[in-house]
Amino acid sequence: MVTKEIPRTTAPAVPARRSPRRRRDGRAALLYLAPGGILLLAMLVYPIYQLVLISFYDYGQPQAVGNAPLVFLGFGNYVELLENLQFWEVLAKTLGFTAVCVVGSLALGTGLAVLATRVRAWARVPLFLAALAAWATPAMAGSYVWLFLFDADFGLVNEVLSGLGFTGMANHSWTFDTYSTFGLVAAEVIWCSFPFVMVTMYAGLKGVPEEVIEAAYLDGASTWRTTWSITLPMVRPLLTIATIQSIIWDFKIFTQIYVMTNGGGVAGRNLVLNVFAYQQAFAGQEYGLGAALGVVMTLLLLSITGLYVRSQRRSAGWV
Amino acid sequence: MRTRVLIAGLAAVGLVAACAPAQNTPAAGGGDEKTGTVRVWLFDEANRAPKEAAVKEAIAEFKAAHSGVEVDVQWIPVEGRADKFSGAFNDPASAPDVAEFGNTDVSSYAATGALADLTGDLSSWKEGADILPAVLETAKSGGKTYGLPWFTGIRALYYRTDLFAELGLKPPTTLAELTETAKTIRAKKPELYGISVGGKYTYAMLPFLWAHGGEIAKQDGGKWKSTMDSEQAKAGVTAYANLLKADICPPEQCANLTGTQSITAFAGGKAGMSIGGDFNRKAVEAGQVKGKYAIIPLPGTEAGKIAPAFAGGNLLGVFNATKRKSLAVEFTELLGGAKYQEKMYVAMGNLPTLGSVQQKLAASDPSVKPFVDTLTAGTKFVPATAAWSKIDAQNVLPTAIQQIATGGKDPAAALTAAAAEMNKAFG
Amino acid sequence: MGVTTGRRVRKPGRLIAEIVCVVIAGMVAFPVYWMVLSAFKPTGQIQAENPRPWTLTPTLEHFERVLSGEGFAMFFLNSVIVAVVVVALSLLLSFLSAVALTRFNFKGRTVLLVMVLVAQMVPVEALTIPLFFLMRSVGDVAPAFGTNHLGSLILVHLAFSLPFAIWMLRGFVAAVPQELEEASKIDGASRMRFTWQILFPLVAPGLVAISVLAFIHAWNDFLFAKTFIISNTENQTLPLAILVFFKPEDTDWGAVMAGSTLMTIPVLVFFILVQRRLVSVMGGAVKG
Repeated sequence: MVTKEIPRTTAPAVPARRSPRRRRDGRAALLYLAPGGILLLAMLVYPIYQLVLISFYDYGQPQAVGNAPLVFLGFGNYVELLENLQFWEVLAKTLGFTAVCVVGSLALGTGLAVLATRVRAWARVPLFLAALAAWATPAMAGSYVWLFLFDADFGLVNEVLSGLGFTGMANHSWTFDTYSTFGLVAAEVIWCSFPFVMVTMYAGLKGVPEEVIEAAYLDGASTWRTTWSITLPMVRPLLTIATIQSIIWDFKIFTQIYVMTNGGGVAGRNLVLNVFAYQQAFAGQEYGLGAALGVVMTLLLLSITGLYVRSQRRSAGWV
Repeated sequence: MRTRVLIAGLAAVGLVAACAPAQNTPAAGGGDEKTGTVRVWLFDEANRAPKEAAVKEAIAEFKAAHSGVEVDVQWIPVEGRADKFSGAFNDPASAPDVAEFGNTDVSSYAATGALADLTGDLSSWKEGADILPAVLETAKSGGKTYGLPWFTGIRALYYRTDLFAELGLKPPTTLAELTETAKTIRAKKPELYGISVGGKYTYAMLPFLWAHGGEIAKQDGGKWKSTMDSEQAKAGVTAYANLLKADICPPEQCANLTGTQSITAFAGGKAGMSIGGDFNRKAVEAGQVKGKYAIIPLPGTEAGKIAPAFAGGNLLGVFNATKRKSLAVEFTELLGGAKYQEKMYVAMGNLPTLGSVQQKLAASDPSVKPFVDTLTAGTKFVPATAAWSKIDAQNVLPTAIQQIATGGKDPAAALTAAAAEMNKAFG
Repeated sequence: MGVTTGRRVRKPGRLIAEIVCVVIAGMVAFPVYWMVLSAFKPTGQIQAENPRPWTLTPTLEHFERVLSGEGFAMFFLNSVIVAVVVVALSLLLSFLSAVALTRFNFKGRTVLLVMVLVAQMVPVEALTIPLFFLMRSVGDVAPAFGTNHLGSLILVHLAFSLPFAIWMLRGFVAAVPQELEEASKIDGASRMRFTWQILFPLVAPGLVAISVLAFIHAWNDFLFAKTFIISNTENQTLPLAILVFFKPEDTDWGAVMAGSTLMTIPVLVFFILVQRRLVSVMGGAVKG
């Protein structure tokens, strides 16, 4: 039984049922939503509300402790932020860095998921275990290991490269040039994020009915064609979710950049927004400014995700 | 539809306008009970056993002198201390009675009003007069003393005796000589750094700044103003940044090094010289250069002078929210007294802050001499204002050094920008 | 997956694919191998002139230092408690919420969905102060869930994994055809029955992914652990036990690597346990 229905993940504009159903739904929905809803309301909505409040004040440790009066700044923190030229530079770099990480993890994760569906267990299991080990490694440990491997003086990579004949690489610093550094950190981020994409897409791919693929092969389609034109569109909703998640996480990267670039790179040229926020605000207990930055980052992410979802809706295959 | 949006908007504005961010209500003051548990926070070490043993002795002595009193020590990882102390400030019920903290944190901690003013207690303490004045200064903020200096950390010049012998070099007597010596080392041995220092190694840059007569900032009637853009400051910072050049320590490898990374490179045999602290000695001993190095004070701009070093160190402070004020102060004075400062030196290699103890050690342990000499020659500190922790967090000085070293900005521009950043933070 | 006549033709292609798979697995695993190796290397060899992907003098001293650190076993247990509870509750709450948001029709559904998504976008570091004050207030009412106690960590990790879990599960729930629900209704099953006995197993792969994610998130977190647990150190979690080895002037890399290795193992164990479940459930689901 091949289902031709394309899974819908957007809320239909109009409920598809009649009134009696709707009434019952409302109550059941409330029951089902209550536990999660209350938790989220208390633990997320309220703190976010507080965050927005704080962003309008001059709020540091003395204020938090109650040792200094609260000074209402209105949009002062926001103006200070947006007037800072460095903020815009960092924003641009963050966008570029995020794009590279997202595309990288999606490509690698999806590609490997497709590969995993085609091989036997003896090859698939090591891949999954390795991916899982990468995913399980704490971000800090992973960052330091990559840093050690690529260390200018003590790193294995330089050792191997100079051994292979590239003697110029003997003391090459991977973390000096701005783009080389971003590249290295992006590689680490992709390394520890692709497993999530791979596992998700693999689960989705396994759900694609065997018969559909069979039919395509029998019709003479090549593996590549089948994957691209038939399998992937069927798992598109999952891919969208994976993309949105990746965008959200990679935009907010902190640990890897902080560790691998020693706090933002030479003269702060490897800063991304979250590290910039830490450096400019949180590390100096300027919570008001940090809150403003947090709000701005959230709005940015919302716009980016919104744009992405809208572009997905426009392309074929969605209701 | 529009009315709904309007109402929602008004409600939102109302919510924001009517409310204010959560604040802690200041605690109802401390107390002075004579029994109970004294809670102490001390910094954890990777190898804690020696420190713990010394502290246990102090606790035993304290308990013997005060009946009905227990001491509970909590070991805080240095890297995570900011959040611990934040938590203690925001929730006085979680705060300890006594805590160890770094002297660079004094001003920002004092601004929270959470630390007790120990000026009176220290002046009435019999060993109080023995505290080295320069070190005591680092414990002050706004004229009041917020901690008892427990130990101090000083940096000096480490150099490779074997390399110097091989190349026929003498230990440098001035900063200019140091630069030349470093160049020679790298010229003769291109696989090594002349001296391993880093763009992020602020505490190694400061002696250069101070030796050339520059200052970080000056206090003008209560208001701080940066002096990083003065001519002397420019000379000093540039002298340091010139070490981060291809002929000594190339920017590609060195522009982003921290203090730890610099001394690690030296310990790993990658450099002819480095600037390190007394606290780095153990790590260098464990490295590949064991037995092949010596330490001398970092020279100044003239022969025979020593560059003023940065007086790092930790203090023991008492929280205002403590319910056992006298006990807390007494325990602080016990642990910070001569007897235990000496034990801490034996256990951890920490340089004592009491003059008499220092003299005793300098006489008996030659490896301490260069550091004690540096300390005696005169040390300096960072501006004692809460704004400093913000400037430090924002990496203002390292950024300036890195810009000069990589040629991103010329010294005048880089330092002017740094001074502007600092003045913004000073307010 | 069954092999068909069409497939047999591609056998050599499959072998190449398998070799590629294994090679990539090796490359992906290499940094992890390096971490474990460093944990066994003597200190002098960890950051040395000539790094080697092996050591002739393995040592257990770093592990000894980590394990004998104060309360390691206790921190380990705390981490396990927090992670397991968070996973269990995330699965339950996210499933309920995802079903409600996907299957039920009611007003304001889209708004809620969007809010859930937005909640994930806020940088977590920015929320620590408001959350600290919130948990302190909660602690005044229910101490076990307030600051300095594990309950606060459970609540916060639950709150931060839910939005993603709900979003993820939505996809899986939405992928289950409406016809199935219709059919079961015709067969006389109540909605509750359908939800738990039919829908729940069908979204199992999604549940697996969520549980792994929630586990990793709760297990590796140290931002909230260091923010909330101030005075009651007996409630600290594992990442904090390793933090102590990061001294600013003199980091103990051997111990850091050993500690990280010890931290990674339970996650791997968890996955392997869950993986088997996945395989058995998948078999049942595909038959449908």
